[in-house]
Amino acid sequence: MTPPGKRYRIGPGQLAAFASALIADGYVVIAESPDGKGFTALKDGSAVAPDTERPPTALSMKDIVFPRAEPVFLYRKTLDDVQVIDPPSPPRGVVTFGVRPCDAASIQTLSKVFDWDYHDELFDTRAERTIVIGTLCRFTDDRCFCTSVGLSPSSTKGSDLFLLPLDDGGWILQIVTDKGSRFVARCLSAFSETDETGEDLVKRYPGPAVRFDPDRIRSWIPANFDHPLWPSLAETCLGCGQCAFACPVCHCFDLIDEADSFQHGRRMKIWDACQFPLFTKHASGHNPRDTQVKRYRQRVSHKFFIYPERFGEILCTGCGRCSRGCGVGIDIAEIVEQIEKTAVAESVARER
Amino acid sequence: MPEVAAIAKDLLERGVVKAVIGYAAAGPNRTRPFIARTAEQANALVFNRHALNNLAVFLTRRRKPVAGPVAVVAKGCDVRALIMLMQEQQVRREDVHIIGVTCGGVASSMGTPWSVETAAPKCAHCRFHTPHLYDSLAEGTEEVGPLPDRSGERIKELEALPPDERFAFWAEQFSRCIRCYACREVCPICSCEQCVADKNQPQWIDRSPTSRGNFAWNLVRAFHLAGRCIGCNECERACPADIPLSLLNRKLAMTALEEFHYIAGTDPAAPTLVGTYDKTDRQDYIA
Ligand code: SF4
Ligand code: SF4
Ligand code: SF4
Ligand code: SF4
Ligand code: SF4
Repeated sequence: MTPPGKRYRIGPGQLAAFASALIADGYVVIAESPDGKGFTALKDGSAVAPDTERPPTALSMKDIVFPRAEPVFLYRKTLDDVQVIDPPSPPRGVVTFGVRPCDAASIQTLSKVFDWDYHDELFDTRAERTIVIGTLCRFTDDRCFCTSVGLSPSSTKGSDLFLLPLDDGGWILQIVTDKGSRFVARCLSAFSETDETGEDLVKRYPGPAVRFDPDRIRSWIPANFDHPLWPSLAETCLGCGQCAFACPVCHCFDLIDEADSFQHGRRMKIWDACQFPLFTKHASGHNPRDTQVKRYRQRVSHKFFIYPERFGEILCTGCGRCSRGCGVGIDIAEIVEQIEKTAVAESVARER
Repeated sequence: MPEVAAIAKDLLERGVVKAVIGYAAAGPNRTRPFIARTAEQANALVFNRHALNNLAVFLTRRRKPVAGPVAVVAKGCDVRALIMLMQEQQVRREDVHIIGVTCGGVASSMGTPWSVETAAPKCAHCRFHTPHLYDSLAEGTEEVGPLPDRSGERIKELEALPPDERFAFWAEQFSRCIRCYACREVCPICSCEQCVADKNQPQWIDRSPTSRGNFAWNLVRAFHLAGRCIGCNECERACPADIPLSLLNRKLAMTALEEFHYIAGTDPAAPTLVGTYDKTDRQDYIA
């Protein structure tokens, strides 16, 4: 087996041939859709090469491992019996090409919660069956902040293999994990091994300037649950699900029963979002997060305090999807910057 | 004509309103909703080709951020929403000071530089460049020559398709819906305290983003807005799945005009289309 760390040179056009061969072998090959809005399964390999100068997709790749809707079980009822039927097994051999670092990192982050005390079989099976081919990202806008949460345009976290786009249209393919190495072994004869590290490329795309220190946010939040800053932070938030659904690491779901008839139906796992007023509404009618201010505080707290405390990871990859897609222009990085400013000002005032 | 910020400052200084809901700059070719509560904050208010939001959404009963009288910055299409909200008893005329702005068109999305080519499709068939109801009128943007009516052309193309192909078109569009409800939340007319899509006793609409539920959701929403939608197209702009919701809404608005001579959001005193029964209404829909 080729050890992780080895690099191969892929010529222009060879990536498409590689993808076509995988499709011919029965793999599900997924890449950014032509309009750049999301990911889509390809019919042939010709469009597999990622355009890494485009903004990241509006919706992340989490749909592949944590679909927007999937059956947990099916049921069949008769008057005196209920039969529970296993859901169809997720597809085998899924290969996702050209995943940006701020998207690829999500699988590791998500597995912390999906494999916490209970092992979510559906997530685990899909993650196990998916090969993530990450790519260096050559796009940056004022919504990006991967570098503030420990990532960068060249981080390989979450990728099994990683592509560096060369100026001639070719690629350096880097083997990152054992899983990636096992997967790619059969194709390597087509590519030549290289010593090129692509270091110049990595230097050329440093990503956005660091905007805040997440540790400072993490310590400020628990001590300031009722701080007067919160109501001013996102007062125009409308409480939709766009930010959570577009986010690569938001993972709340609901379990619902959907009937086709009295006899047939299924229990579905579907995306849910903490910004919906119904999310925390009790059957009694009481809602502990009864205002949008409380719900937005939860969003920021979960990402920058609760998840880091519990799992040692920030629940945000700095991709900026939530901000780019928000109908009222709420920008999570700006909000975190405001929290940091307040935290710094308060600590200066205390020291005086 | 005075600018928005000057009018807002004056209203706040004189205590006529508690807050002014307007637009603030938010990066290149972008604005976002901003609530000014003091004359100083009002300095941040702007109006330009990127003032896309329909701020009437903040005036519905379920959302109004400030108790008491408020002012709102409104383009012609936004004023239509305010009027619709008055017609539906969501907003009382005396509670809102409308800062109307002249508007010659806005860009189609945030971050997009303005040009005739990038103008929002709705502006091509706008009849309200100068708002038809306001308390103060502010200097906005100028009208440009005729804009291409792209959405009108697409509706004609769709109408020309045989029904099964039209069905296939919408089935493909709705299949991308993720049920984030951004369309509903950004819509000033979706003012219901509890949306039918959130009811589960009984469950009228499947909640999962699968074909049956998505079809039901998108069609029910379109029909609930028939004769009410004022065509601001905020739903389409907010939709992360790029579903051309405006085509459905405009088609229904065209039907309201052709069949009932009704344009939503023009007269605060007029009864609503779906809320009126008229003996002379056509009966042949009920076959
Ligand atoms: S922040 Fe924006 S996208 Fe998120 S819930 Fe609020 S309005 Fe919707
Ligand atoms: S919170 Fe926003 S910026 Fe962070 S990972 Fe989610 S979508 Fe990306
Ligand atoms: S529809 Fe009319 S009022 Fe509305 S943004 Fe376009 S030009 Fe302005
Ligand atoms: S349905 Fe869409 S176009 Fe119509 S009023 Fe609501 S947001 Fe505006
Ligand atoms: S905004 Fe788009 S994706 Fe979201 S619920 Fe509405 S139609 Fe569906």
